[in-house]
Order: sequence, then structure tokens, then C-alpha cells
Amino acid sequence: MTDMIRELALLDATSGDEKAVRDHIISKIKPYCDIKTDALGNMIAFKKGKKTPAKKIMLDAHMDEVGFIITHITKDGFLRFKPVGGINTSALMFKTVLINGKTAGVISGKPIHLTKDEECKKLPDADKLYIDIGAKSGEEAERILTVGDRGVMVSDFTVSGKNIISKALDDRIGCAILIKLIEEYGEYDFTAVFSVQEEVGLRGAKTATYAVNPDAAIILESTTAADIADVPEDKTVCRLGGGAAVSFMDRATVYDREYYAAAMNSGIPVQPKSAATGGNNAGSVHLSGEGVRTIAISVPCRYIHSSSSVANTDDIRAAYDLAKYMIGYIANDK
Amino acid sequence: MNIKKTLKALSDAPGIGCIRSASEIAKKELSRYAEVSTTDNLGIIGRIPGKSDRTLMIEAHIDEIGFIVTAVDDKGFLTVSTCGGIDLRALPSRQVDIHGKRTVRGVFCSTPPHLSEGDITFDKISDMKIDSCLGESAKDVISVGDYVTFCTKSRELAGDLICGKSFDDRAGICVLLELASRFSKKTPPLNLAFCLSDMEEIGLRGAKTATYGISPDEAIAIDVSFGDGPEIDPNDCGKIGKGAMIGVSPIIDREISDKLIRIAAESEIPYQTEVMSSRTGTDADTISLNKNGVRTGLVSIPLRNMHTDCEIISVSDITRVCDLLENYIEGGGLND
Repeated sequence: MTDMIRELALLDATSGDEKAVRDHIISKIKPYCDIKTDALGNMIAFKKGKKTPAKKIMLDAHMDEVGFIITHITKDGFLRFKPVGGINTSALMFKTVLINGKTAGVISGKPIHLTKDEECKKLPDADKLYIDIGAKSGEEAERILTVGDRGVMVSDFTVSGKNIISKALDDRIGCAILIKLIEEYGEYDFTAVFSVQEEVGLRGAKTATYAVNPDAAIILESTTAADIADVPEDKTVCRLGGGAAVSFMDRATVYDREYYAAAMNSGIPVQPKSAATGGNNAGSVHLSGEGVRTIAISVPCRYIHSSSSVANTDDIRAAYDLAKYMIGYIANDK
Repeated sequence: MNIKKTLKALSDAPGIGCIRSASEIAKKELSRYAEVSTTDNLGIIGRIPGKSDRTLMIEAHIDEIGFIVTAVDDKGFLTVSTCGGIDLRALPSRQVDIHGKRTVRGVFCSTPPHLSEGDITFDKISDMKIDSCLGESAKDVISVGDYVTFCTKSRELAGDLICGKSFDDRAGICVLLELASRFSKKTPPLNLAFCLSDMEEIGLRGAKTATYGISPDEAIAIDVSFGDGPEIDPNDCGKIGKGAMIGVSPIIDREISDKLIRIAAESEIPYQTEVMSSRTGTDADTISLNKNGVRTGLVSIPLRNMHTDCEIISVSDITRVCDLLENYIEGGGLND
């Protein structure tokens, strides 16, 4: 599983530009199911099981990651940009980036030595940052790329004990779990959705769910783990190594109470996502059609939406086991 | 010597305190061209004898900015102190290598979104923690006093620009190595002492004792200085790709500055002047005060994003600094 996550996380796929990840996933799941791609680029794959459950079950993981889009090229060859998805300015400052999967650059700004007293204690306006790709003029830059091109902050993929450190763990971990389910799980039919544009407003999942029209949905995600230094116990949300995190409510969804209870009583290592913050594709999915009963299973992830997210492999295993368990539970739920 | 390849290798290696990977690479390369000695634990000296008794010291610093661990907690989070000037605002979610019993990858904690309402202020490094990603077993691997460095590998940008974590001042080291290589095949008019000094970033220390040991008749420090960018006042910086920045300042010997400028102009080596009103913040400040005084010059290579893990430099600027210094040495230094 870790190798599969590594392959996926090191691909670049800013929202709206998910092709690299989609192609990789197609190459993995093609032998196991029928695949359709919709107008927005969502990939919908039907996996036949031994039995067809009474309820149509959909599983979702999103392919896109946070990044940035080039908005302007200066006459000196520097690029102005806007973040795609929610990224803290700290996570952008002085980061090495890759644009269009091939052009290296650096998000640059004023060095600390030239920053005056109070200025160096506050984050700069994100508008004051720019990308340097080494172009000597606007014309040279325009020969390499154009406004509207996207990029991501680059990262190594590091395994440290039970933890992994990388960019894009949100939500390539979910993608990897879903691929693994397609490869290994054969009990009941289910429809896998690898969705686009989650980070820019849960958009892909809206059209994909319309097409699938499920009765029940399982969202495979990663979520903020704030179990870090100097954060009080009641603000930690969930912790690494504590098992799969199951949501009861966030800013986009009030989750199905029964599914939540079933997950918490599954006997698999789980923990509640104990804060009503954030949001994921469940927000779009549960409001689709006449409504869809929805559960979100998340892998706790520190420093999410940065190029250095940290997740725990035991939690990933638990999320996989819980997803499998919940398919069975929903299939047998009267 | 392949400047780009050497620069990448030097920059990618850690070099702070007792972590000496960068020094080892530099020492190996230098010993191909010069007689190398390690002095007083603070630096590496390479010598190429010349035709006269005079000694010109060419100096650059081998150390880089970083951190030192001051506490390890039970959950694997580290408190650190800085070694050199570091922009705290850019630390959250930055990856680092922690040089403990083994080298492990860590991440500077960032404030989670649900807790970051309002403006965050970046007052002191002790407020920021490094996640060792080792949990409770961190103490088995990491102790107080261990060093932490940035860990990005260098990458090539468009043209001849590259980015990496410690071109300040491995680019200067590259100039020394290249000059040693060029003069290994010919006898210079005066003795050359190549000084790769340590502890510049924590107060220009290594150059002090190394210069004392070498006792040069004149010296030129090679360092980096601010490169241009859209948010940077053109008065505060040089231009990347436009050649060596020849330092002019009250603490720098005027004759050396003038001679460097004259040679650059005559030999059509692209250059720019960097005028400062007092101390330069480089080893030139300390070298010039050695014993009864050393006439000292400063040549800088323009560098963007100084003291970050993605500094940007132009390989051609480094080559031009080498060309300028080669001509200066050929011309016999001050004593022509």
C-alpha cells in the first residue's frame, strides 16, 4: 500500500488538471472493472462482486491536490500566481515548485535580511510572492509556459518508521485505498468514483454522484490531525496512530448517525473526528438527488494542505479495513 | 572542474557544526589541486606556492545556516535554536534533516487551519516545534545538541540558474576550488592560500582564527549577496546573471576594489559594484582586523532567496567571479 501511495503522491494533479493521476489509476484498475470518465474528468468504475446488494453503494476519493495557478507573467520573467485550494501563506513561502509537471521554479520573496523590524513577524500578503523559473524576460518565460498553467509544491516521499511524509497525501491515500479495494474486495458490487475538483468546492463529486445515483456512499479522505506540540487535547481533532477517523459532522455535512455508530462499533481501530471543522466530498454527495446516506472515513494527517503532510500506515490500514467492513454493513442493512 | 556539478554536490551535503559532509567533499576536491591542511578545527586551508613571498588569501565559508536541538519532548517534538539568520515565517511545514544517531526527516509544525484564526505572529524560534515523526521513540535517536539542516536537493531552472539549499556560501567555495584547479597547472605570481572557513553564519568566527594562522599579506573574501526580484528595492540588490558584485565599503581596501573593477572592465568580464557604508556582514569584516590588519577585498555572487532552502544562483556569475579572480591573481594582486 505504501508503494502505491508513493506512486500516486508524487504525481502532480492540481484541481482541474487531474490527468496524470487519472491515467495512473486507469492503468491499475483496468483489469478489474468497467471505467467511464465524465465531462469534468471524474472517473467512475463499476466493480462487480459475488453479490449485488439491495442498496447501490458508491465509494469516493478525490484525485486533485492543492497547488497554484499562474495568473500573470512580468516583463522580467517572474510569475504571479494564486493558490488553488486552501493553502496557508507559510506553506507557500520559499518553496520549490513544479509547473506542468516539468518546469521547476521557486516561490520567492524578499529575503529576511531586507525585511524591516515588524514586517518579519507577520506573514506577507500572498500577493507579494512570485515564482522564479529562471527566465530572464517575459518572452523567455512565455516560451516555457503560459498564464493558466498549474503547479504544485514538490516534496520527497519519506517513510519514517510507521509514518510517511509527502505532499498530496490528501487525498492520494484515499485513492490508494480505493484502488486496493477494487483489486482485492469481491464480496458485493460497488461503484468507485475517483473525483476531480474537491479542493475548489467539492465540485467533481456533484456530477459524479448524479451519474451514479447511489443509495449510500463512503467517502475516503484524509483529515486534519492536530495532535502536535502546544495544541490542547480538546483541539487535536484526531491523532496519528489512533485509527481511522470517522466524522459525525463537519462544515459541509451532518453524517448518517447509524453508519457512524456502526463504524465506531466495528471493532476496527477507529476514532471520532472530534471537531465539526473542515469538509469533504460528503457535502456534495449526501445532497445528491433525493439524498444519499453518507459516511466519511478519514486517515489522520498532520500539516495537511502543505508539501509535508504526515500520516501513519496503521491508520491507513484501519481505514481500508473499515471501508471494507462498511460495504458489508450497508449491503446487509435493512 | 565542472562548476555546476561540484556546486550541486556541495550544496546538497549538510555542513554545520560537527556535521562535515560538505567539508569532506570540498577537502577531497581541493586536495587534487593544492596542499591541504586542516587548521584549528575551524576550517580547511589549501596552499599553492607562488613566485614571491607575498601571500594572498582567498576565503569563503563552508558552513550553512541551520538549527540546534535544545529539547526533545515525550511525543517526539523538538525545540530548536537557530544557527544563523532564518525567516521564521517560512518554517511551518518545511522539511528538515535531523542529524541524530541517524539522520531522520522532520517537519516544522504548522498551525492547523481550525486554530489559525486571526494573524499569527512569528516572534521567536522557541515557539516553533519540529515534528521528528518518530513519536515516543524520538529520544532514542535525537539528543539535545544535535544539528538540524534544510534538506532540499538542488534543481536546475531555466537558462543557467539553479536552486538549492546552501549556495551561501558553497558557491564561494566553488570559486576557491575552481581557482585552485586553474592554478594547479601554473605557478602564480604570489603564494595562494585558499581558506574554507567555518562558523561564518554564527558570527564570522572561523575566518578569525584561520586568518591568524595564515597571516596573509592581502585577502579577498568570496560570498553571496542579494539578487533582484519584483518585491526587492533595486537599491538593495545586484542583478542575477550580470556578473560579479565587487564590494566597495569603508572596511574594504579601496585599492583592491579599484583594481578588481579595472581588471573586470579591461578584460570585459561582466561585473557590478556593491557599495556598502560600513561592515559588510561577511568574513571580510573579520579578516581585515587580523593581527596588525590585512588589506581585504570582497567579491560577491548575486543570489536570490538568501537563507532559504531554495536559494537561486547563476552558474555563469560564478564562472565570471573565477575569471575576475584569476586575472587579479595573474596580475600579482596588489603588488603589481
